Order: sequence, then structure tokens, then C-alpha cells
Amino acid sequence: MAATSLVGKGRAAISLILDEGTFEENRIGGTVLDAGLGPGAVVGSGRLNGRVVTVIANDAKLRNPRFPVVYAGIIGLEEAYKMAEAVYASIAADDGLPPEKKRPLVLIVDSPGNGPGKIEEIFGMNKATGAYQLALIEARQKGHPVVAMIIGRAISGAFLCHGLQADRILTLSKEYGTMIHVMPLSSIARITKRDIETLETLSKTNPVFASGADYFYKLGGVEEIIEDSANMREAISRHIDEVYAFNSAGRREENGPRGRGALGAKRGGRKKRQQVLALMEQEFALIEDEYL
Amino acid sequence: MALHEISFLIEPQEGYESIPVDWAHNGVVGSGDMELLMQKTDSAAVQVNIVTPVAGYDAIWEKVLRKFVAEARLGGVSIEINDNNSTPYVVATRLKQGLLEAKAGERE
Amino acid sequence: MKAWEELISSSFYEATARQRAHGLVDAGTFNELGGPNKRLKSPHLPELGEAVSFDDGVVTGVGRIGARPVFVISQEGRFIGGAVGEVGGAKTTAIFQMALRLHDKIAKKYPEDASLRAPAIIYSFETGGVRLHEANAGLLAHAEQMELIQECRGKVPVISLIGSKVGCFGGMGFVSISTDVVVMSELGRIGLTGPEVIEQEMGKKEFDSSDRALIYRTTGGKHKTIMRDCSFLVDDTIGAFRDQVKTLLNMPYEQLKKYRSIGSLKLVQEQLSLVALAAVLQPKDSTDVWAHFGNDNPEGIPDMELEEFCRKAKLRHREVE
Repeated sequence: MAATSLVGKGRAAISLILDEGTFEENRIGGTVLDAGLGPGAVVGSGRLNGRVVTVIANDAKLRNPRFPVVYAGIIGLEEAYKMAEAVYASIAADDGLPPEKKRPLVLIVDSPGNGPGKIEEIFGMNKATGAYQLALIEARQKGHPVVAMIIGRAISGAFLCHGLQADRILTLSKEYGTMIHVMPLSSIARITKRDIETLETLSKTNPVFASGADYFYKLGGVEEIIEDSANMREAISRHIDEVYAFNSAGRREENGPRGRGALGAKRGGRKKRQQVLALMEQEFALIEDEYL
Repeated sequence: MALHEISFLIEPQEGYESIPVDWAHNGVVGSGDMELLMQKTDSAAVQVNIVTPVAGYDAIWEKVLRKFVAEARLGGVSIEINDNNSTPYVVATRLKQGLLEAKAGERE
Repeated sequence: MKAWEELISSSFYEATARQRAHGLVDAGTFNELGGPNKRLKSPHLPELGEAVSFDDGVVTGVGRIGARPVFVISQEGRFIGGAVGEVGGAKTTAIFQMALRLHDKIAKKYPEDASLRAPAIIYSFETGGVRLHEANAGLLAHAEQMELIQECRGKVPVISLIGSKVGCFGGMGFVSISTDVVVMSELGRIGLTGPEVIEQEMGKKEFDSSDRALIYRTTGGKHKTIMRDCSFLVDDTIGAFRDQVKTLLNMPYEQLKKYRSIGSLKLVQEQLSLVALAAVLQPKDSTDVWAHFGNDNPEGIPDMELEEFCRKAKLRHREVE
């Protein structure tokens, strides 16, 4: 069966992932979010295998009427802050609960970038994406499992903003038209002044600059590739359970960005990082006492 | 495509001297610039390793380095260079600066 | 390397990463970790025929300011625009992890006065973000740094210093603003989307990326000070940045916290009211925003000397104190 692409279809993905009819937009615990704010950011609650989860996604069909560079799933100022509010609302909703009861956050990833405009720079798009990322990490620190599911575009700053802070990152396979990269190979060819054929040949042995899920898998940038969209529900649930288990065993650091660093060494695509960390730690160990 | 590497050995003159510190570093690999790493070694001969994006200038590199080692009466040291399109003038200047700083390093 | 006394009176803007690292901490205290003699070169650049560097474009180490251990991360813009690759990213991660571990040991050893003995991190940015030659690894390195900045909160103060030639753009634009305090010089620039990309998106008429004055008005130290994204605007010398860091490190952590622009729901709400202002104001230029905040002669601001600017400029009112 041919894979039906979910690119640009964040809402369809929500329906595929959540228990039927359970999604409540803009409602998280006791918080009701402003529906008019950042219309392209779709946030709310639902159930996954009966468990209450927060969902954060994008609707690529909506434009932001106030910020003209924000359309087609771009995460602008309003969108990023709304996503951050959704995270803080999730934290507030479970305040006082033990870590194993903190609701999971499911990030459905399909965004081509952050708002690339003049007003965005004047007011600080960097703050908006930073704010959302810090909120996600705080949620993880408190015990909320955060699982990202790439259904379409996970591109550069947008992927950093919405996806890369998750405990676990899953992606639909390339047959679904998923795109994971900083820049397409053609742009990298132009900027590095190398021809695209050379880059393609090189990327067969080194996944470090090429575009796509398979390369990110080798680098440890995504934990798992999902071959059939019908399996997203099961996979997300399974990773949520694993994150709870890691957290309760005091192994939170083994998930998230640094966990994926270690995974990159294990899978062979990112070996140097681990070597550098080990070498510098040995070096510091020799002088650490001077600073104690 | 890959970076070009040049390696050669320079026999030192009599009465040679190494650098007064274990290692010394100088310069930044900016465009048209280079960095230099000199390190004390056990053998008298000067091992030179140059890594550069530009091929075809091996003879010039060797000439500049031989002149430098002879004039400075260097031995018991390795010289490593990461280059990014430096002119021979820049190379000669960085080598001189590098040696001066290595010697100054001892006083600190 | 210049003598330390000479370093601190040198221009921060022109200084190399290593000069900044040595000059920012007390004289003679900088211990470079992962230094050039460790030869931590990128394994990826040679495949593309690109020059390599023994430090991969970032100087990392530890020194002291007064009694406190101060870890330093200093990016070198001359080397591939200071962009972040696998090795440089790993060196930076290593510094954050060391600082956190040292903090925990100090907190255990000196439970009474850990906060003034605890290590701090100063991060001198000079970068366009991800290094495209090893783009995927660079991207993943950015995510690690964000995670570690959040892990440092309440333990290890992290201070961003921005005033170097390349500025601080791309993903590093949000890494820097996510730290506890941002210190800039007037020559510093910070942003997410680089000027060329904005021009490409909006057209040259809306944003001419070759217009230096426009870029400074949009991303420069004075603008970011008016917006309260930068908490301290200092002179363009290594010594001026160092003095500011010293002052900050003498404050209890609780006091440092008030310089954050993001990192809590309240701060997000404060930023959202600013975004609402953006939607209403629809500024054509930063000068429109400066005027809105009560600056009568916004056109005169770029030409003001630092002292006059600090005295006269009206800054955005902060809601969260």
C-alpha cells in the first residue's frame, strides 16, 4: 500500500494518534488558551490509549492575519509563545502529582521554519523559540514525558523549536515525504561550493550533512523510524512508557538531546562527540581539585 | 577534494635549540591565515605537517619552513600548520610570531 | 598572546576567541581544556576540502574571577564564521557538564555558602549558528546546549557576552537569549534569522541586507537594550565585559534571575504583551518602537555615545520584576 503523506496535515495526524473524538483544542487542565492567538499552532488535550496527553501541533492551512510571514506551518512569535503556554499549562495541571503521574506531551512535528520577518527580528523571534524550548525542558525535568512525532517537515530552526527537546523523537519513514534537515543538499552545495554529486557520494558514508530520516537515524537524531502511520499510536505509547521507566530509575539524562548524542555514537554516525566529551573530562579531572 | 597534506623532515643544524615550553600555539585559521602548533619532541629532526585546502605549492612550503628552521636554529620540535590559503608572507610572519611567543611563554 | 593588562584594554569586537577567554578571567588563571595541543579537529571538514583548526573554532576552559571558578566558552568568528559543528559542539557540552558536576561537588562540600563559591559559565558568542558542512551534527549540538542551560538554572549562572564581529545569529540567537543574563556592546548583534534570509523572504525593499545601519537598528546592542533583551550595554573592551561579569558574579543568584527575559509562564506572558504591541504597531523600523517607548528623537539614538545613551534612552517597561 502506498504511504499517504501527512505533510501539512497536522490535524489529520492528531486524529490518527489520539483516541477517537477525544481532542479538546485550547483546553489543558484548568487552562483555556486564547483560540485567536497563533492560529497555526494547534494545542490542546486528548487521550492516547486512555491516558490524558497534551498535544502540540501545527495547522499548515492557516495564516496568521497579523504576521504576514507566518503561514504554511511556520512557527511565528504568537505560535511559539502559545506552544510555550501549552507546556506551562500542562505543568500547572499536574502540579503536586508524583512524576509517574505527570501527563505526557506529544509534539506533532511539521514545520518549515520560524517567522523570518523584520518585525519578528525587531521583537525577538529568538526569544519566542527559546521560551518554548525552555518550557519543554522544564516539563521533562518535572517528569512529563515529551515525545515528538515527525509527520512532515522538521527543518532547521523549526525542528530545534518544536521537536529536538523531546525525550524521544519518532519519524514517519521517507516514503511519507518526511523532510529532516538544516538545508536541502542543493543549498548546502551552493554555500559550501561543492557539486551536488560529490555531496551525494559523500553522504553514503557520512550522514553528517545529508537530508532525511535515515541519516538522522544514524546520527542518533531520531530514536525510531515508523514505517506505517497506523503504528504511530502504539509507538508513541511505548516510548512514553519507556520515558516514565527511565525517569523513575533516575536516568532522565539518557533521554533527550544528550541521550541522542550517546545514541549517535552507538549507531556509528556521531562518534567524535563522545570521544571529545571523554577526553575533556579526563583533562579536567586532573585539575578539578584546585577548584573545589 | 580532500584536504591536502604535506609532511617532511628537516635535519637540524649543530647547536640547535628546541622551544622552552612543551608546546606553543599561535594564529587563527581565518581566510588567508593559518595556525601554528609547535611541540617539543625527543628526536632532533624537525617534523613538519601542513594541512591546507590548496595543492600544488609543496615546494614553496618546504622552502619557507627550511629557511625558518635554519634561521631559528630549531631542533627537537614538531611543527604543525593548519592553513587556509595563506600567502608565503603570512606564513613567514606567523612562524616568526609563533617562535617569539613560545620563547615569551617561558618567562610567564 | 598579548599581556593580560593589554588584553583588557583591547577591543572586544576585534579580539580573537582565545584573547577574550584569557582576558575575561583573572590574569593568568585561564586553563584551556580541549586546547590546540589536543588537536580536536573536525573529522568532517577534510572530506569537503575545507580547512580545519586544532580547536574547531571554539576556545573552552576554566579560570577564576576572584574566588569563583569561571568556565569559559569563546567562539572564533574567523574560523568558518564561528559556526557550530560536531567537535566544537561537544566541547561546549563538555564545559556545561563539568560546571554542573563541579557545582554539585561544591554544594556538597560547602552547603553554607555554595552560591558564591559555585562555578559560573561565561559564553562569548561569535557565530552564525549551524555549520553547514556538518549541518546535522551542528543542529543536534544546539539542542544539547539548550537542555544544559535549563539544567544550569538555579545552580550555575550562565552569562552571554555578545560584541564580536560576526554577531550571534541562527540557533545561537536563542541559545544566548536563554541564559541568565545578556551583556552586549553597541557593536554586538543578536538575531535568529540572518539579514540575507529576511531580504530573500521579504524583498530588498522591505529589508536591504547590505544596509549596515538598518541591521544595527534591528539586531544591535542599543536596540536590544531598549527592548530589554540585553540587560547591560558596555564599552567595546574586554575589560568592560569582564567588569560587568565581575559585578554579576558578586550578586546572589536570586538577584541575577531578574535579568531573564524568558524561562517562566510570567515571562512568556510579558513577551506576549509585547507581541500584541507588534501586531498593533506594525513597525516599519525599530525607530517606530523606540518612539513608542518614549524616545523623542529615535533617529538620534544610533549616533549617541554609550554614556549619553545610558543616560537618555527610554527602555521598555518590564512587567515582571
